[in-house]
Amino acid sequence: METVTQTLDRQVVVNLILAALQDVLASMADEVVTPDENTRLIGRSAVLDSMGLVTLIVEVEQRLEADHDLVVVLADDRAMSQTRSPFLSVGTLADYVMQLAAEQG
Amino acid sequence: MQQHIQWLTDRMAGWSAQTCLIWNDGETTYGDILERVNFWRNFLEEHQVAPGEMVTLDGDYSPATVSLLLALIDRGAIVVPLTKAAEVHRDEFLEIAQVESIISVDEYDFWSFKRTGRRADHPLILTLRQRGEPGLVLFSSGSTGKSKAALHNFTHLLEKFKTPRQQMRTITFLLLDHIGGINTLLYTLSNGGVVISIQERDPEIVCRAIARHRAEMLPTSPTFLNLMLMSHAYERYDLSSLKLITYGTEVMPESTLTRLHELFPNVKLQQTYGLSELGILRSKSKDSGSLWVKVGGEGYETKVVDGILWIKAHSAMLGYLNAPSPFDAEGWFNTNDMVEVDGEYIRILGRKSEIINVGGQKVYPAEVESVLLQMNNVADAVVLGEPHPLTGNIVTARVNLVQPEPAAAFRQRLRAFCRERLASFKVPAKIEIVDTEQFNARYKRVRR
Repeated sequence: METVTQTLDRQVVVNLILAALQDVLASMADEVVTPDENTRLIGRSAVLDSMGLVTLIVEVEQRLEADHDLVVVLADDRAMSQTRSPFLSVGTLADYVMQLAAEQG
Repeated sequence: MQQHIQWLTDRMAGWSAQTCLIWNDGETTYGDILERVNFWRNFLEEHQVAPGEMVTLDGDYSPATVSLLLALIDRGAIVVPLTKAAEVHRDEFLEIAQVESIISVDEYDFWSFKRTGRRADHPLILTLRQRGEPGLVLFSSGSTGKSKAALHNFTHLLEKFKTPRQQMRTITFLLLDHIGGINTLLYTLSNGGVVISIQERDPEIVCRAIARHRAEMLPTSPTFLNLMLMSHAYERYDLSSLKLITYGTEVMPESTLTRLHELFPNVKLQQTYGLSELGILRSKSKDSGSLWVKVGGEGYETKVVDGILWIKAHSAMLGYLNAPSPFDAEGWFNTNDMVEVDGEYIRILGRKSEIINVGGQKVYPAEVESVLLQMNNVADAVVLGEPHPLTGNIVTARVNLVQPEPAAAFRQRLRAFCRERLASFKVPAKIEIVDTEQFNARYKRVRR
């Protein structure tokens, strides 16, 4: 049986998050932005409000499960108490997904 | 012998040649039903079923069941009706209601009688026995926690049916162990109407029964009405006999009501309001397309405190058999239903326990469900809250589709649809496509 770490590549996760983010942004229809790895998810220059962030997190969780059989909880007490928030940017969220996936190894 | 329903049997005798009940497409007259009531009177005597005895009546609306119910009331028994919808809780319910004997009526209308060996000794039961009056035990739906057993004095519940009202040919959709079912049955019998019994409660069978037996009244739930609209069963039968559809037991999604009103412009759509603990209140919808309703009437007082509806009822239950009394010192009952008020009218928003608190703002599931039900390819939708560390709770939507559709694209479509119609905190953050039914045996949406 293949393990998750063998099938899950960081770039795949980044692309998955970007696709999810584009969908969430499109349904909000505020402004058109093309997100990349450095796109900020929280803070002053964030592209999302708090409802948008919650929606993105759930969307990413659902896609990881549907596309990669990976069941993770991205927003919980642990995520909230990290010194560097996993939700800072697309890149940091991808790193956090990789970390959780590796733990499930 | 006790004569608790003399007034009712006298009335029924006046209609003896008229049809009383249609069961398995066969007709039984009021005269036949009264003969059966006599048969059961003798039966109860022979089997030494005492006044005040806790008797479970197991069955649907058949000639045997309906006549037995009347005979049990007449004898002064305390009736504990149970139906298939309560199957999973059956043993628990028999225990809680301290049932002493069980009369079961099967789908062929054959009956069996047995004693449980139990002796009821609950103080409330003893109180009712001392008064020598018949009783009724109804179980609350228990959507939040355990079902509670409400003990009623049947004499109080019967009182309002002495006032003559319209004679209606009525589909008995709501079950006999539900306050709405008991109310429908007694209303129909006390006005010389026709009880139209149905074997199953799916849209096809209900619509066929309406057409075949020229039913005039359909008391049902919003969930069933939505299913009926989605199934298009109404297009395959002649429903022109229908005059009145009543809906209750849960919040009606506005979109379902609007659609129903468009399709049946000549049918009066009337909201009902009742509780296992208090009985059914008299109600009057502002008009057929409106969710605003006046509730109350003789024997009921209402007030709204902090957005919650409170009711004081003359015909209230004596109390619960398995929980402390919910009435305050003045006899008011907290319904836990959140309402909006406009003069004499109220609009029911939802159960207090089902409100979703998203970052300090309130979301009522029914409002979101009403929007989702307007989407193409959505057959049914249930909205509920789930805890989330970022906003306290999130709005989750579980949706049944008509045709399969790619999940990610559907979620995107749903969010965009809601975004145009709802404040952003009400837009579901989590969207799940499900393929199992999301309602219970009483056709009420389950938000768990």
